Amino acid sequence: MSRLEQLQREFFKALLLPLRGSSRKSTELTPSDEGHAPEFFRIADEIIKPGPELSAAERLELYHRQYWFRILDSLAEDFPVLRRMAGDERFWELIEAYLLERPSQSFTLRHLGEAFADHIEAAPCLDDSRRRWFGGIARIEYAFMKCFECAQSALPEAVDLGDSEIELQEHVQLLRLSYPVDLCWGWQDFTPAEGIEPEIIHIAVWREPSGRSRQERLEAGEVRLLSRLRDGIRLDVLFDELPEPTPSEDDITRWFAKWQGYRWLGVCGKEGAQELDRGIGWEGMDRMSSQAVSMTD
Amino acid sequence: MAHPRFTGGRFLGTGIGLRVPHYDHILAEKPAVGWFEIISENYMVRGGRPLAVLDAILDQYEVVQHGVGLYPGGSGGLDMDHLRRLKELIKRTKTPWISDHLCWGSVDGRMSHDLLPLPYTFEAARKTAENLRIAQDFLEIPLAMENVSSYAEFNDDEMTEWQFLAEVTEAADVGILLDVNNIYVSSVNHGFDPLEYVDFIPPDRVAQIHIAGHSRYQRFIIDTHDHPVIDPVWRLYARAIERCGPTATLLEWDSSIPSFEEVWSEAKKSEDWRRWLVEQKGVGHVEA
Ligand SMILES: [Fe+2]
Repeated sequence: MSRLEQLQREFFKALLLPLRGSSRKSTELTPSDEGHAPEFFRIADEIIKPGPELSAAERLELYHRQYWFRILDSLAEDFPVLRRMAGDERFWELIEAYLLERPSQSFTLRHLGEAFADHIEAAPCLDDSRRRWFGGIARIEYAFMKCFECAQSALPEAVDLGDSEIELQEHVQLLRLSYPVDLCWGWQDFTPAEGIEPEIIHIAVWREPSGRSRQERLEAGEVRLLSRLRDGIRLDVLFDELPEPTPSEDDITRWFAKWQGYRWLGVCGKEGAQELDRGIGWEGMDRMSSQAVSMTD
Repeated sequence: MAHPRFTGGRFLGTGIGLRVPHYDHILAEKPAVGWFEIISENYMVRGGRPLAVLDAILDQYEVVQHGVGLYPGGSGGLDMDHLRRLKELIKRTKTPWISDHLCWGSVDGRMSHDLLPLPYTFEAARKTAENLRIAQDFLEIPLAMENVSSYAEFNDDEMTEWQFLAEVTEAADVGILLDVNNIYVSSVNHGFDPLEYVDFIPPDRVAQIHIAGHSRYQRFIIDTHDHPVIDPVWRLYARAIERCGPTATLLEWDSSIPSFEEVWSEAKKSEDWRRWLVEQKGVGHVEA
């Protein structure tokens, strides 16, 4: 291993250690009196030169807290409904455990929550029903993020419906959840969930023409057709081989009109343009930047 | 003056970073701004609003791409998927050059999302230059390396930061994005003379200059881009353009962002310095 690689591995290992001391106190994580692990000081002393004002460990600490402040803020921002339902303490516990277990694997902080739902569904600090409720919420909230940046294929014209392969727009995401978690969007806290039995629901999350994300429940028969549209299919083939149980003609007509109205369908391989609605704000646009996070002394 | 191979032969005057709080103003009022710098990683997507707003800006303005995720100092090499996405975006923006930071930031595909400092060693310089040559060959566009603000130095260091910057950019034959605020921040944090730094920079490589504000704490400075440019940084700017000639200059204001007018008028102050340069020193030419 080269000297450079060794140094970078050690430095990175230190960044991933849990946030401690006063740095931790300036976040919303549950405070802890625990100091840094001896590992942190060992790495600092081994690789970092003390400065005119700061010790080697204090210098490393500046990077350590920058790392944590940035990812904590970014992840928390993407899961507001989960936060409301889980309550602050539980929410931050989940966030910290997730980030310790699974550091970012994408060039953009937008993808930081990509495995959060999986993590929650296996979280030892939750009972089984909360795992599934909170995991489901996280799936929907991450789908909002995902559809924000998906490609857009051209909307089908009448002629395309007969001649071309039609696909489900990439931004339309189909989720299968084991509790009616979409109800949480109308709740102030998690108490209404008491006594609600598990129930399989299907949700579509998609990007409206304005650019805003939305969710809505789907019927089971509808999902079977939409899943076949995922990779592109000619409509005559789609409707010739209907899945069991066979939907009625009325259902199909109704669903199809809705999909078209919501602009869920696209022409395979033909790029479409995103409209620019200036009236809905710019939330979620600037996730990456070059500046440091400000802090207290 | 920067050699045209580092700027694609384009001379740009004053620019500012394209930031969310100004989108509405820019799209509605179309203010006369020389150029905008975008953070590439915010637009390296397949579709949706980021690209829609970028296209609207590109209809009106020249845009230069500035990245935060190339991590050319990574001992594990470059992420080729990242380069491919970057190249896609370059096709869209037609940026005359692209910049990123002289730093590292990931290990085994796990990301820090920070601009981490490199040890100033010959080994690190060699590895970084090797990565930069690969990037520049692949992207087929002039590449400029920005000096970062740093908060730590390493026991391994074998040279100064300015020697390292010159060493790497020469070995890779890439340009420099000289951030004079970052020089100031690091000079306070590490106790060196910032003028010595500026005076050492190979002037023909400087494709662009960054100016910005920062946050001063009791014992250190953090590069927060949330204040106006302070006088000592303007003086470094003056020295930089005295050496490099009139150079594309960009103000970074990324946090506690004030109105568009306030940011733009802060950026325009750089034009007074460039005019001073022409009048007092006879360096460069008067900008239109
Ligand atoms: Fe900069």
